[in-house]
Amino acid sequence: MNQELSKFAARLREMIFLSETIGDQKFNSLALELFALQFENNSVYKKICEARKLTPQIVEHWTQIPPVPTSAFKEFELTSLAPNERTTTFHSSGTTEQKPSRHFHNAESLALYEASLWNWFQPHFAGDGNLIFLTPPARQAPNSSLIHMFETIRQKVGLAETVFEGTISADGSWTLNFFEIIGKLKSVCASAKPLTLMGTAFSFVHLLDFLAENNLQFELPENSRVMETGGYKNRSRTMPKTELHSLIEKFLGVPRENIFCEYGMSELSSQAYAGADGIFQFPPWTRVQIISPETGREVREDEIGLIRIFDLANVFSVAAIQTEDLGIRRGTGFELVGRAQLAEPRGCSLMTA
Amino acid sequence: MNLPNYFLADLPPEAVLSAGIISEACQTLKRNREKYLAARSTESLIKTLSGVAENWIEPDYSFRKCALESGPAQTGFSRETLARGLDNFFGQLTRENFHALLIQEFGDAKRLDAFCSPPVEQKQNRSAILNAPEFQVHICAGNIPNPTLTSIVFGLLLRSAQFVKCASGSSFLPRLFAHSIYEADPKLGACLEIAEWRGGNPALENALFDEADCVTATGSDETLAAIRARLPLKTNFLGYGHRVSFGFVAKEELYGSSAKKIAARVADDVVAWNQLGCLSPHVIYVQLGGEIFPEHFAQLLADELEKREAREPRGELPAEHAAAIALRRGIYEVRAAHAPEMTRHFFSTDSTAWTVIFEAHARFQVSCLNRFIYINAVTDLTAALQGADEIREKVSTVGIAVSEEKKQEIATQLARWGATRICPLGQMQNPPLTWRHDGRPALGDLISWTDFES
Repeated sequence: MNQELSKFAARLREMIFLSETIGDQKFNSLALELFALQFENNSVYKKICEARKLTPQIVEHWTQIPPVPTSAFKEFELTSLAPNERTTTFHSSGTTEQKPSRHFHNAESLALYEASLWNWFQPHFAGDGNLIFLTPPARQAPNSSLIHMFETIRQKVGLAETVFEGTISADGSWTLNFFEIIGKLKSVCASAKPLTLMGTAFSFVHLLDFLAENNLQFELPENSRVMETGGYKNRSRTMPKTELHSLIEKFLGVPRENIFCEYGMSELSSQAYAGADGIFQFPPWTRVQIISPETGREVREDEIGLIRIFDLANVFSVAAIQTEDLGIRRGTGFELVGRAQLAEPRGCSLMTA
Repeated sequence: MNLPNYFLADLPPEAVLSAGIISEACQTLKRNREKYLAARSTESLIKTLSGVAENWIEPDYSFRKCALESGPAQTGFSRETLARGLDNFFGQLTRENFHALLIQEFGDAKRLDAFCSPPVEQKQNRSAILNAPEFQVHICAGNIPNPTLTSIVFGLLLRSAQFVKCASGSSFLPRLFAHSIYEADPKLGACLEIAEWRGGNPALENALFDEADCVTATGSDETLAAIRARLPLKTNFLGYGHRVSFGFVAKEELYGSSAKKIAARVADDVVAWNQLGCLSPHVIYVQLGGEIFPEHFAQLLADELEKREAREPRGELPAEHAAAIALRRGIYEVRAAHAPEMTRHFFSTDSTAWTVIFEAHARFQVSCLNRFIYINAVTDLTAALQGADEIREKVSTVGIAVSEEKKQEIATQLARWGATRICPLGQMQNPPLTWRHDGRPALGDLISWTDFES
C-alpha cells in the first residue's frame, strides 16, 4: 500500500477529528493532491483519466477531476489496496442487482470512514444515546456500509447489540423483530427519555404497516428523532417521502422537524443529511455538484441534474463519484429527486440491461 | 389553432372525468354508429380516409401546420422528426393500399358490404360476409403516435364506433387526427371519442370495458395481463406487448459507397420517431470479414447521425431520459478506457443528441433509445441470433442489408428463428398498411365471418 495515501488518510482523519474548517481553497489543494495520488496508485482509475485526457498535469481545479460512475464499481476493482490488504468489502444493496458494487477497505480506510460518519452524524443527532436500528446487526451483514455505520454509532455511544431490531431471513430479505420493537417503544414512552429510531425507508414502511394493522399508535417522548435512508429496492411498496413522513408523524408521534433523511452509498465514505427543508448537506470534506446530463456541466441554482460527489474520505478508492441519482441544486446542497431509470428504456419492460 | 370541444381530450385539464361521463360517451358513440356509420360502404370510407391522409401531406393543411408548430412542445419530437413521421404514415393511406389490405385480409375488398365469393369459393358454391365489432376500445401506450392512428383508421374502415384512451400526455396527435376526420366528415367524427388519463383508473376503465365489444391494447406484459383479467369473456381482446427490433448488415455489402449508404439507412431508422417505436432498432449486427470493419461502420453511422442532428434534431429530453443516456455513456467510457478493442463510443458533443456504441461481441443490449444505437460485430447471422436469443420471443422487425443472392436464405433463417417482419434497413419504422402486426392478421383478428353455403 502506498505510504503517501496512508499519510493523506491520517491527515484527513486528524482534520475531521478536530473539525477543522475546510474552505474552498484548502479543499481544492487537498483534492488535487489526492487526485495525483489516486492517479498513480489506482491503475483502473488511471486508465479512465488517461482516456479522458485529464491527468494531474492538466487538471487545475477539483471540478475538472474525472469522476467514476458508481456502476464502474460493479465491473472494476476501483481501489489502490492490493487484494491481500483488503479486509472489508462494502456492497451496493438491492435485491435486483446481479452484480453489486464493491468498495474495498482495510483498517486505515475503515478508520477514516468511521471518523467521517461519526463526525457528521453527531451534530444531526446529538441526543442521549437511546437508539433503535431497524436493520440486522453487523455480524449478519458484513458487506453493508449502512450497517457498518450503525454499528460504529452503537459502539461510540456504548450500547448493547440488541439495539439492532432486524434479522436477515433465509431468502436474504430483512425482517423486523416487531414484538421487541413494540415492547421497546412502549417502555420508551413510559420513560419519557427521547429515542432515535434509524433505518431504511422500506423498514419504516414495514413497521408502519405493522402498526396500522395492529391499531397501534405511539407518542414518542419529546425530542425523539427519526432517521430514514435509502430507497426501497423492491423490498416494500414505495411511498412518496411526504407520505412516509406524515405516517411516521401519525404512528410514532415524531414531528416533521425531527425526521431526518440520510443520503449515502457503499461507494462513498461520507453521508449527507437533510432536515425538514429536504435539502441534503455533506460534511466540509465533501463537495457536491449537480451536473446537467445533457451538457455535462454544472446546472444553475434550482435546476435538476445528476448528483456528482467529491469525497476526500474516499482515499483508497476514488474521490470523484458520479452517482445515478437526480437532484436539484439548492445552494451548497441538493434536493433529492430519485434514481434515474437506467435499466429500463421508455416503454419497454423486457429485461434488465 | 383553437380546436372545438368535440372530444373528451379537448376539455381543459381541470375537467374531471367520471365513470358516468365515460358510459354516456359510449352510448352516444354506439347511437351515432348506428345512425351514421353502420350502413356506410367500404368504398366511401376509403375515399374519406385516403382524402384526409392526402390533406395531411399538404404543407398548408391546418391540422398538419398545428401538429408541426405545437407538436415539439406537446410530444417532445422536433418539427422535422414529426414532419417525416407524418409523411411516412399518411403516405401509406392510399386507395390502392386500402384495397390491397382488404384483399390480403378478406380475399375481396367488398366483403364488409355484401356476401362475396372469390373464385376458390365460387367453385364450392360458397360466399362469405364480415361482421365487425360494433364498438371498439383502444388502450394506447403512446410512445409514438402510429399505432394509435392505425387503430383509428382500421376501426373506421370496419365501421366500428371507437373510444381511444390515450396514455397521459400522448393524446395530442390522435386528437388532431380525430379533428381532421371530424372536419372532413362530421358524421364519421361523431363515431369517435378521444380521451386521456393515466392508466390504472379502475372506475373509468371498468365503465369503458363494460361497453366494449372489442378491446385493443398496447403496453407492457403486465398492463396487458391486467386489462385481460378485467374483461368479460365475451369481449374480444387484442393485446400488443412491447417488442424490440434489430438490424443485420452482411459483409458483402460492407465496401466503400455501399457501407456509407447503409449507414445512412440505419440513421433513418434511428432518427425516425427518435427510435421510440417497437420497430426501431436497438442493435445493428455488423458482420466481420467485409472491406469495412464493424468498428469503422460505427464511425460512419456516427458521422451520419451528426449530420442528421443538424437537419432533423432530436429535440429536448426530460432530465431523467437525458440522465439515462449520460449514465449509459459513462459505463461505456469506462469499458472503452480498459479494453478499446472491445468497446468504442461515439457521442454528440455537449448534448445527448446521438450515441453510437461499438461492441466486439454479439450479446443483444436493450438501448435507452432517443437515438442511442449499438453496433455489434458478429461472424455471421447465426452468431447474431445466438446473441439475441434472450429477446427471441420479443422480436418484431429485423432490418437487413444483404446481397440479392443471399436475401432469401437470410430471410428464411430469420423467419424460422422467430422474426415476424423482415425489411430493408431504412424502412424499419415505416411498415406498409398491410403489415401483419406481430405476425397476426392486420384486420383478421378484429372481425368475424359468416359463411354462406348456397
